[in-house]
Amino acid sequence: MSTYVYGIAASSHPSLPEDMGGVGDPPCPIRILKAGELAAIVSDAPEGLRPKRRDLLAHQSVLSEAAGGGSVLPMRFGSVAPDDSAVTEVLAERAEHYRERLTALAGRVEYNVKASHDQEAVLQRVVAGNPELRALIEAGRQAGGGSYDDRLRLGEMAAGAVQSLEEEDAAELRNLLEPTAEAVSVGPESTGWLANLSLLVSRDAAEEFVAAVEEIRKSHPHLEVRVNGPLPPYSFVEPGPAEPAASTTSTATHEE
Amino acid sequence: MTVVPAQTGGGGGSSGLYDVLELVLDRGLVIDAFVRVSLVGIEILKIDVRVVVASVDTYLRFAEACNRLDLEAGPRKSPGLPDLVGEITESGARGKSKGALSGAAETISDAFKQAREEGQGEERPRPRRSTSARKREE
Repeated sequence: MSTYVYGIAASSHPSLPEDMGGVGDPPCPIRILKAGELAAIVSDAPEGLRPKRRDLLAHQSVLSEAAGGGSVLPMRFGSVAPDDSAVTEVLAERAEHYRERLTALAGRVEYNVKASHDQEAVLQRVVAGNPELRALIEAGRQAGGGSYDDRLRLGEMAAGAVQSLEEEDAAELRNLLEPTAEAVSVGPESTGWLANLSLLVSRDAAEEFVAAVEEIRKSHPHLEVRVNGPLPPYSFVEPGPAEPAASTTSTATHEE
Repeated sequence: MTVVPAQTGGGGGSSGLYDVLELVLDRGLVIDAFVRVSLVGIEILKIDVRVVVASVDTYLRFAEACNRLDLEAGPRKSPGLPDLVGEITESGARGKSKGALSGAAETISDAFKQAREEGQGEERPRPRRSTSARKREE
């Protein structure tokens, strides 16, 4: 029977989730495998596991529970080892590395922030701040809508203006939130948002972070800011891809 | 749902699950010695929106949205605007992208769609303008 792995923790972790159900239908019971100072949160791996809503949620719930009680390295969804001993072997082999990461992430949580524009408010804003664009609109209206080329020009200008505001707002969002975080990881772009940031925040600084978000919502009413957290530090398990907050500040400044 | 504790604060809220599942699927520790289940069909998040935005169709829709703006309204005077403005803007600015993306988007497993609905269901109602609410539902 292969083994599904949720995350790695210290074996001294005070409240590893053992009475929970994990992935699978019916849910496979969570088990803890220990190897020296490390522990893996696992369950049996169900046959034909796919990224279904239920299973994604189960993965997240188990990790959320574990992270509530102490430092955890969350695995990406769908990690399956051939058997339990393969898991403990990996723990033993890379013990030093995992211990270092667990220590580095102790007392820290991830917040994921996504921002998008309120399209209507943003167009109003863009037109109000751009006399040329406004003139084009007025000219078009007087000409009964304007020619195809006129409309194309107007649309291109408006789209461009909205897009630069997106970039501006994305940079600003980052600049405003970064001081409350220890590290920042930029998520993939998509049509759904103009900024997708994960921030590693010390539990002690969580209040400060939440306050910074509130401040942004007030000062940027055309932005819709969605916050998810506190979460297990999915984006910060390896030191590589995420940048320390200090160095990213300078990058963000250059972008402006 | 344990995913989104209330600590996000007063106006915090969260459209929840969808945003979190992105992290569950795309981040987190990967160990070479372990196999990962196939995620074919749900790698939808890395499409660059810019490619999609720069099209004639998008420009024309932006123009239409501009032409429906109330030029006398200040940038903050949004709540009173007719819904139509929002609708057109939606179908313009985002509609095109949606079309181009739909091939990929349709392959999202039920997981994401259901999760998103669930997230919304559990979301506390927020004083949002109807346009943005509509957008999220798309």
